Amino acid sequence: MTDEPARKRILVADDADTITTLLDTALTAGGYQVVVARNGVETYEMGKSGDIDLVILDHLMPGLLGIEVIEKWRSEGVEVPVIVLSGVDDDTTLVSSLEVGAVDFVRKPFRLNELMARIRQRIPSGA
Amino acid sequence: MNGIDFGRVAVLVVFVFNGLLMLSLIVGKGVHRRRIKSHERRRVAYLTLLSRQLAAPDRSVEMGSSIAGDPAFLDALIDIRTSVVGSESDELSWIVGRHGVMETYARRLERRFPVTPRLNAAVALAEVADESWAPLLMDHLGDREPEIRIQAARGLARVKWTPAIDAIVERFGVETPWVRTRFEDTLLTFGSKATWPLVAYVRVNHKFDSLGPAAAIRTIGRIGDRDAVQSLIAILQSSQDPEIQIAAIEALGILGVPLAMPSLERTFLSDDWRLRAKTATALAMIAEREAIPILTTGLEDPNWWVRRNSAAGLARHREGIRNLHKAIQSTDPFARDAAAEALADVGEVIAARERIDAGSATVDDVELIRFIESELAVKA
Repeated sequence: MTDEPARKRILVADDADTITTLLDTALTAGGYQVVVARNGVETYEMGKSGDIDLVILDHLMPGLLGIEVIEKWRSEGVEVPVIVLSGVDDDTTLVSSLEVGAVDFVRKPFRLNELMARIRQRIPSGA
Repeated sequence: MNGIDFGRVAVLVVFVFNGLLMLSLIVGKGVHRRRIKSHERRRVAYLTLLSRQLAAPDRSVEMGSSIAGDPAFLDALIDIRTSVVGSESDELSWIVGRHGVMETYARRLERRFPVTPRLNAAVALAEVADESWAPLLMDHLGDREPEIRIQAARGLARVKWTPAIDAIVERFGVETPWVRTRFEDTLLTFGSKATWPLVAYVRVNHKFDSLGPAAAIRTIGRIGDRDAVQSLIAILQSSQDPEIQIAAIEALGILGVPLAMPSLERTFLSDDWRLRAKTATALAMIAEREAIPILTTGLEDPNWWVRRNSAAGLARHREGIRNLHKAIQSTDPFARDAAAEALADVGEVIAARERIDAGSATVDDVELIRFIESELAVKA
């Protein structure tokens, strides 16, 4: 019997159940463990726990904006990598997200294959 | 039965009737709530099913024949379709095609069905935006139901079906104001491809109709295609219809091409105050600085809308603001009022007060505050 490697844990933070369902299904199929948050405050709290390997973060969420969540994490020393997934199609949001510490930015609507490739690039070992 | 018994029976009947009514309302509400919950459960289940297919496409998977007519499936499909692009979008189209989803909605669009399912079908066809359904949507641009006409146009615009442009524009003259407004919004999706069909429609119809061509001109302005300026100038010069002239002035203002200035300077001398008022705004939009002399004359116009729009136009430029300050000292009370309002709108009154407090006020600042305070004193 071999020890199964611990599955990487991804936090999907989005208030739209379409996105969370889609990503939950795709990431689970890709060998990741998925947890879901539906608002900014919940995301902030879950990200602080220290057992998250990557966050896929919506920009516009109730409670706290995606950028605000990253700012709070970084100011408290939480360095979890964040990919911002945003329907806000302007360069200001993109630049601000990267400046506050997001590692990547993907616009909605998105290509699932492309997002999965970007995730694998950050945390290669799904299972 | 005496009078008292009859009264009792009547009260009892009313009481029972009210009770039944209340009961039916409660039951109806409960049924409705259960339907919504069931719809939501099915939508989430379909979302998961579709997500699985997108994550690991397996074309042997059968989703069941019931999905074709289930509105919950349609909602899930629309939600997910607006979230993904590329090969995932193609995969969704394949799923829809395989299960005959759109064929079901196309059948429901037939005129023999009641309005609600027909309307739902039109929304479905518009949302899914599949080019192969464009001919069917073209047939329904003239549907007897206004909302179906709107959805048909929207669906055609979503797939950028250019033959639809002429068909939509042609309906400008016969549509209700609501549908026409929605058609205007739809045509914006086509961008400058809609410019020349709109211009052609206006050229042919502006002497016989008013509302349709005016709506078409407004749409040209909103599209923002500057190639249409010459045509709009020609229409402005040849039309005697104020609705069309106003629309043309407004569109020329939005397009902002200085070529239109001479024509607009002429309409600023029109006997019709509506044309003068629109022209004041358009002139300021085209050339803030060059329009200052003519807008300054507008401060003394007998109509208050013209004075107001001229003052607002002057307030867009530093030099114009100087002229507004001068107008405060004018003997014309109308010019003073219009100038004061425009200066207040751009924050000049607050700025003047601050400069007075800081000891750096100009004569204009002092005059402006004196005028405002004397006006307030009169009103008090």
